[in-house]
Amino acid sequence: MKGKTEIHDFVRELLTNSGDDEPLEDQDSLLISGRLQSIDAVEIVVFLEENFGIDFAQIGFDREQIDSIDLIYALTQTTASGH
Amino acid sequence: MQDNQAQAIIEDQLRKHPGVRDTEVFFDDRDGCVALVVPDDTYMDHISGRAASGANVLSKWRKTFDLSQLTKEAASAPVGFNTIGWNSSYTRQPIPTDEIREWVENTVRDILQLAPKTVYEIGCGTGMLLMRIAPGCKRYAAADFSPVVLNRLREQLGTIPALAERVEVMERSADNFDGIDDDSFDTVVLNSVAQYFPSAAYLTEVLEGAIRIVKPGGHIYIGDNRSLPLLPAFESSVELFQAADAMRAEDLRTRTRRREEREQELVLSPAYFLTLRHRHPKVSRVDIRPLGGRADNEMTRYRFAAILYIGGETKASTQEEFLDWTEYKWTLSEIRFMLMAHGNERIGIQHIRNSRVEKDLAALAILRDADNELSAAELRQRLEPTPVQGIHPQDLIDLESEGLGYSVILSWAACRPDGSYDACFVPKELRQGITSPAICWPEPEAREFMRLANAPGQGKMRNELIAQLLTHCSQHLPPELVPREITLVDSLARPCGKIES
Repeated sequence: MKGKTEIHDFVRELLTNSGDDEPLEDQDSLLISGRLQSIDAVEIVVFLEENFGIDFAQIGFDREQIDSIDLIYALTQTTASGH
Repeated sequence: MQDNQAQAIIEDQLRKHPGVRDTEVFFDDRDGCVALVVPDDTYMDHISGRAASGANVLSKWRKTFDLSQLTKEAASAPVGFNTIGWNSSYTRQPIPTDEIREWVENTVRDILQLAPKTVYEIGCGTGMLLMRIAPGCKRYAAADFSPVVLNRLREQLGTIPALAERVEVMERSADNFDGIDDDSFDTVVLNSVAQYFPSAAYLTEVLEGAIRIVKPGGHIYIGDNRSLPLLPAFESSVELFQAADAMRAEDLRTRTRRREEREQELVLSPAYFLTLRHRHPKVSRVDIRPLGGRADNEMTRYRFAAILYIGGETKASTQEEFLDWTEYKWTLSEIRFMLMAHGNERIGIQHIRNSRVEKDLAALAILRDADNELSAAELRQRLEPTPVQGIHPQDLIDLESEGLGYSVILSWAACRPDGSYDACFVPKELRQGITSPAICWPEPEAREFMRLANAPGQGKMRNELIAQLLTHCSQHLPPELVPREITLVDSLARPCGKIES
């Protein structure tokens, strides 16, 4: 099971790849603020499916679920299948 | 050294770089020269890596659409009006449903004017167009690449058995025309779909398939395309809208540049569609139209529809004469009076200033030249007193229903970066039942054919290539021959105006 640091590193890389080098706090909005685009949400979803076994087809999807590192981490804590 | 000798030396040097497929250098009235460079596709693929590969981009968009239909809102969306995922770039909130409704109704009206009876829709989504167009058709085949979206569509069709039995739903990618015979549909529709294609080359592949399956006399309607000539105005307007009052002009410019670099969607010049006339003998003419509508949003301001006429159509027989709006700056009332006075003559007006984008273009002009310290609040203040002089396209369209005896047709084919458009007023008795008369619209200037589309997701790599080329020139040429500016283009417009593909 990966933890918050890995999530932070992954999101940081996504932001850097899109030219965003601004500081990143765990509570910062990622998608609703526009720092990441909807197509970047897919990267986060695939990351969560592959590393935490989360099945969005089962639990449904809402971009607010993954809008910050804190929220992503909370999601992994409540729904991860323990990969 | 003479300019033409210097030109040849610089072009030779640039061609030695593996990222350059072709180049043309010219000297203007400023110091130094400008180099136009057509990038080498293989080299761009090499520096882009897997992330920008077409298959990878399509797979990401497919997943995006799949996810959009896994939301609670999607499950309860009304039949034929599932607007999930339609968010404003400005507010990042959903676009108001009445604005989407107007957009859908205008699109449907435009397609129905083509009198479709057998339709193949590529990228049908949850059926916003299908539900409104299919009832009047003999056959409607609807394709989409997202299985989750199609499940949602099938659920909705299940509630309307009479419609379900005449609609064929297919899960397939846009470029897959397997099993579809030549000349088997009268209309192909791609609406709000092309922006999710990975490149103009992929769009061309899709359109080649579409052209093959449309019978002579039919049409291909490619709607809701994002406009490349107006992309700078759009990107800067979004940044200005979102900027805090204290944001400096320098930071606004940086953010606008970054937004352009990050652009993930395919943005097209109307000129791209115009080139299809020369590349495909089956395409007899191409119309480019700004979207109708009163809503003020990014679709009405910055998107256009392209209609390809397949075979069968007669081309415009005479060269139209267009009056130049910029000479007289007619108001709407003056145009109305002109129509009343002329009775049954066809009247064309070109270069009509577009009130929808006037403010955004004024803001872009201020931002380009502004002092670094100018704040966003000051920029907005400078814009406030600017009176709107242009004419709203919908105001002209509405003249048609005033009983003046004219049909009104608008065109954005000229691709002007000032957003201006052209109008043709055709006496209704001259139309003689022709739904869309052939009009010889003003053409774009040759330079507009040099850049036909952006390269989604490759902005950063393209800037990297420009930096590499400047370094390459600095290392191999004397300082006075290093280009002042390098611009990447899709093709080179030769002096005679002929375009190299």
